[in-house]
Amino acid sequence: MSVIKNIGAIAKGMSITFGEMLQPTTVENYPDGPGPLKGAQFQERFRGTHVLQRDENGLEKCVACFLCAAACPSNCIYIEAAENTAEQRISGAERYAKVYNIDYNRCIFCGYCVEACPTDAITHGHGFESATFNASALVYRKEQMLSPTPAHMGSNSVFNHADVEAGAPALPQAGS
Amino acid sequence: MADLTLTVDGKKLTAPAGTLLIEACKSVGIEVPSFCYYPNLSLQGACRMCLVKIEKMPKLQTACTTVISEGMVVATDSDEVRQARKSMVELLLGNHPLDCPVCDAGGECELQDMAFSYGAAESKFMEAKNHKDEQQWSPVVYFDRPRCILCYRCVRVCGEGMDVWALGVQNRGVSSVIAPNKQDHLECEECGMCIDICPVGALTSGAYRYKTRPWEMNHIGTTCTHCADGCKTTLGVRRSDTGMEIVRGDNRDKSGINNDFLCIKGRYAFDFAHSTERLTQPLIRKDGKLSPATWEEAFALAGKNFAEIRTAHGGEAIGVVGSSRTTNEENYLLSKFARMVLGTNNVDHHRTADFPALAAALRGKSGQTASMRDVLSAPAILLIGNNPTEQHPLLAWQIRSNVRLRRAKLYVVNSQPIKLRRQAAGFAQIPAGAEAHAVAFLAGDDAALDHLVHQSATRESLLALRDKLRAETGLVVAFSSEIRGADVARLVHSKFAGAKFIALADYANSRGAADMGLYPDLLPGYEPLTTDSRFAQEWGTLPTVPGLTVPAMAAAAKAGTLKALYVVGANPVARFGLDPFAFSGSFVVVQDMFLTETALMADIVLPAANAYEKSGTFTNTCGDLQLVKKAGEVAGVKSDFEMIVRIADAMGFEVRKLVPFGGGTHADMGQSRGAQSGEADRHSVWLEAHGLEPRMSPFDPVAIFDEIQRLVPSYHVSRLDLLAGNDQHTDIGEAGPGAAHDPNLIIPANDDLFSSGTLGRYSHTLNSVMENKNAPAPSEVGAD
Repeated sequence: MSVIKNIGAIAKGMSITFGEMLQPTTVENYPDGPGPLKGAQFQERFRGTHVLQRDENGLEKCVACFLCAAACPSNCIYIEAAENTAEQRISGAERYAKVYNIDYNRCIFCGYCVEACPTDAITHGHGFESATFNASALVYRKEQMLSPTPAHMGSNSVFNHADVEAGAPALPQAGS
Repeated sequence: MADLTLTVDGKKLTAPAGTLLIEACKSVGIEVPSFCYYPNLSLQGACRMCLVKIEKMPKLQTACTTVISEGMVVATDSDEVRQARKSMVELLLGNHPLDCPVCDAGGECELQDMAFSYGAAESKFMEAKNHKDEQQWSPVVYFDRPRCILCYRCVRVCGEGMDVWALGVQNRGVSSVIAPNKQDHLECEECGMCIDICPVGALTSGAYRYKTRPWEMNHIGTTCTHCADGCKTTLGVRRSDTGMEIVRGDNRDKSGINNDFLCIKGRYAFDFAHSTERLTQPLIRKDGKLSPATWEEAFALAGKNFAEIRTAHGGEAIGVVGSSRTTNEENYLLSKFARMVLGTNNVDHHRTADFPALAAALRGKSGQTASMRDVLSAPAILLIGNNPTEQHPLLAWQIRSNVRLRRAKLYVVNSQPIKLRRQAAGFAQIPAGAEAHAVAFLAGDDAALDHLVHQSATRESLLALRDKLRAETGLVVAFSSEIRGADVARLVHSKFAGAKFIALADYANSRGAADMGLYPDLLPGYEPLTTDSRFAQEWGTLPTVPGLTVPAMAAAAKAGTLKALYVVGANPVARFGLDPFAFSGSFVVVQDMFLTETALMADIVLPAANAYEKSGTFTNTCGDLQLVKKAGEVAGVKSDFEMIVRIADAMGFEVRKLVPFGGGTHADMGQSRGAQSGEADRHSVWLEAHGLEPRMSPFDPVAIFDEIQRLVPSYHVSRLDLLAGNDQHTDIGEAGPGAAHDPNLIIPANDDLFSSGTLGRYSHTLNSVMENKNAPAPSEVGAD
C-alpha cells in the first residue's frame, strides 16, 4: 500500500511542477526588464528610500519635531528647524524642516522613522538604486526626498504663485 | 519644632511639625504629583493634582497645602486618588492643543510626564478647542496661551523670587490668563525664570526657539563667564558646522550655588561665542595691515621677538596684561610665564576690587570670608554700595531669598535708592561718594557722621542703624569697589561680632586674577616678591623689583623703554583710556576673541577660545572655586593656556618647567582609534568625572592646578568635591600678606544686567532686548 501512497505523493508533487511550467515566468529580469523599473517588482510594503510627503495644500507635512531622528537606531537623520512666516509658509504647522538630511551610508531601512512620525510626513518610497561611487552623494537632502507637488496644485493653485513666478515648474516634473 | 508621626500608604514616617504633606511624602520617596507646588514659592493649590485621601476627612485634600498632624493616615495611591488624578489630567488636557511635535517643551514637559503616568489615553470631550495665537512678549519670551495650565508658577517666581512683578493674572475662573505688565509685551529683567519654571510649553524662550529638541543636546555644567557671582549654568550643545554650538543655558538640575537661578546673561548671553565677528585665524601686521597668517608663523614671530627683546633690553622692557575672564590656571600660568620666561614683574590686569587689601586685613584670620551660600543662610546682611540687582544678580537673589524664607535682616548703605531697599530692615541713603565715610562711621568714628547726613539719613537714624548692626551676630558684609585700601581694613576691624566679608568685583574671574598674582608686586596667593618665597624655590630666580602697572606701561612705551606688550584677553586701551599710539613703537601681541581697540593696534592677534570653550577653574567674588568645563567649540581658535605655552616653546624655553605635565594617569584619549573632533574632549570630561586626571600634554590645565594647590595655601580645598562639580570656598585669610595699592587703579566696570564688557557688545540677545536701550555706549563699556 505504501508504494501506491508514494506514487500518489510523487504524482501530486509533479503535478505542481508541471502546472508551474505552463504558467508565465515570474523571474525578475532586472535590470534588463521592460519599463522604468527595468523589470524590478515590488510589494507595496517594500521599504525603499524615503519620501517626504505633502498635505492636500501642497505644504510639507514635516514639522521638524525630530522624533524620526530620535527613533533612528543608526542616527542617520539630521534636521534643522525654522519658523514659518506669513510670507514664507513651508509647512502646515508653526515650524518646518529647513534642513532634512538622511545619510544612506548609515540608514538600515528599518522604518522606525516612519512609525515615529506624528504627521505621516516621512514614508518609505520604492527607490532602491542608490548605489554610487561617492559616499558623500549618499547624504540625501530634503529637496531630493520631497514628493512632487500634487497635480491639482498646478498653475491654478493660490499657494504656489510665488514659486511659479520665481521660476518653479507649475506642473509636477517626473522624478522630482 | 517637635517631630510628628504619620502614616502614608502604610509607611510610618516622622517629620517636623509644620512640614507640608507633599514634602513629608517626598522625604520617604512617595511621589505626589503636582504642577503648581514649587519649593520655596508661596502655596497656590491651583492644579489639584496632588489630591490625597486623608482618613477622617470627607473629601480628598491637596497635599501641597496640608500641613502634617500627629497620627494622620494618608493614602496617596488608592483607586479614588488615581481616579481623581486621571480626571485632573483630562481636564487640563481639555483645551491643551497637544501640539507636542512643534512645542519646544516637548520631551521635558511635566504635563507630558503626568499624562503618561496618571492620565487616560482618551478624552470624553468632543468640543472644539479654543485656539489663541502665540504672542511674543519680548525678544526672549513667547507665550502660547492654549498650552498654559494656569499653575501660576511664573507669576510667583517673577514676583516673589525676582521681586519684579512683571507677570499677573487677568480675568477669573476658566477665562484666567497670564498677562505681561505692559499690555502686549514685557518690560522686566528678562531673566527667563518664568520660562524655566513653566511646567509646560506656554512660556518658551526666543533664543532657543525651534533650535533643537531636548534629547538632541549634550548638557555640560560649567560656570557662567559674565559677572563675578559664579552661577553654575548647564549649557546644551549641539554639533554644528564649525564644532559644537551652544544652543541653550539653564540650571534645571538645581546644582551649584545658584540653585535654579540665572539672569539674562547666564541664560542667553552665550551667543557672543557664535558672533560672526569672531576671529578664527591668527593675524600678523604686514605693511601696516593685519593679514591672516598661520599659527606656526604667528607663534614663531612672537617667540622670536620676545626672546630678542628680552636678551637685548631685559625683562623690564616687556609688559604683560592679563584678563579677568580667563581661568585660574591661565592666570597662574601667565604670572609664571612673565616672571620665569620673560623675566619681568610688569604684570597687571583690570582691577575691579581691592583684594590685596582684603588679604592684608584678614591675614591670619580664617573663617572671616563669606561664601555665596552663606548669603542665603546668614541671619543678617550689610550691603555697602553697589547695586546687586543689576551688577550681582545672584547675590541679590540670595539676599531676597534669605529675607523672604528665613527672615534675615538686610541693611543697605547706598548713595542711590537701590531696589534691594525694598527688602531692607534698615536703609541709609548717603551722599554720592561717601562710602568711605560710611565705613569710618560704622567702624566707630562719629566724626564721619557729618559727611553722611543726607536726605532721609539723619544723625539719629544712622546711629540707630549702627546700633542695630552691632547687635547682630553672624553678619555678612558685602562691600562695593568704592571701599579700597585702608577703608577695607577699617571695615574688617570694625566691631561686628562674627562678621564675614565679601568684596564685590565685576568680572567672572576677577578674584582669580587677583588670587593668581596678576599684580606687578605680588605673586600668586598675595605673596610678596621675596627671594626666598615658595615660588622662588619652585620657579628659580625671579625678578624682585616691583614692575609697572598698566598706566605706567603706557607711559614707558611712550618714553620708548617698553619694547613689547603681551595682552591676554584684555582690552586695556578702551578700559584704561590709554592712547593706542603710545604703543606704536612697541611689539604688541594680543590674544582675544574679537578685534577690540587693543587688538587693532597689535602686531600679532591670536584668536582665543572663551571660557565656555575650555576647561579649568573660576573663583567667584566671594572666593568660591568652581570648575569650568568645555561646552562649545569653534574651529580656528586656541585656549589662552595653549597659546602661552606655545609662545614659551617658540622662545626656546623648556616647556616642562613651565607646565609640569606627564607622570599622571596615562589614558588613551581616543587618538589610537582616530577620534573625531570633540570626542577626545568628552573623553577627558569623563576621565575627570571619574577622578582620573590625564596631565598628559603641556596644554593640560590640571598640571597647573596641581601646582596652584601645592603653592597657594587658600586653594587647599577638596579636589574630590571640586571635580564632583561642587563649589569650594577659598579663604583669603589663609593667603599671603597682600599689599597696599594705589586706589585709583581700581576701575569699576559698571556693567548692568544687559551689558557685559566686550562679551556684551557681541551678544545678540543682550542687544536685542529693549531694556538695553539705556545701556552705556560701547566705548564706555568695560572691556575684558
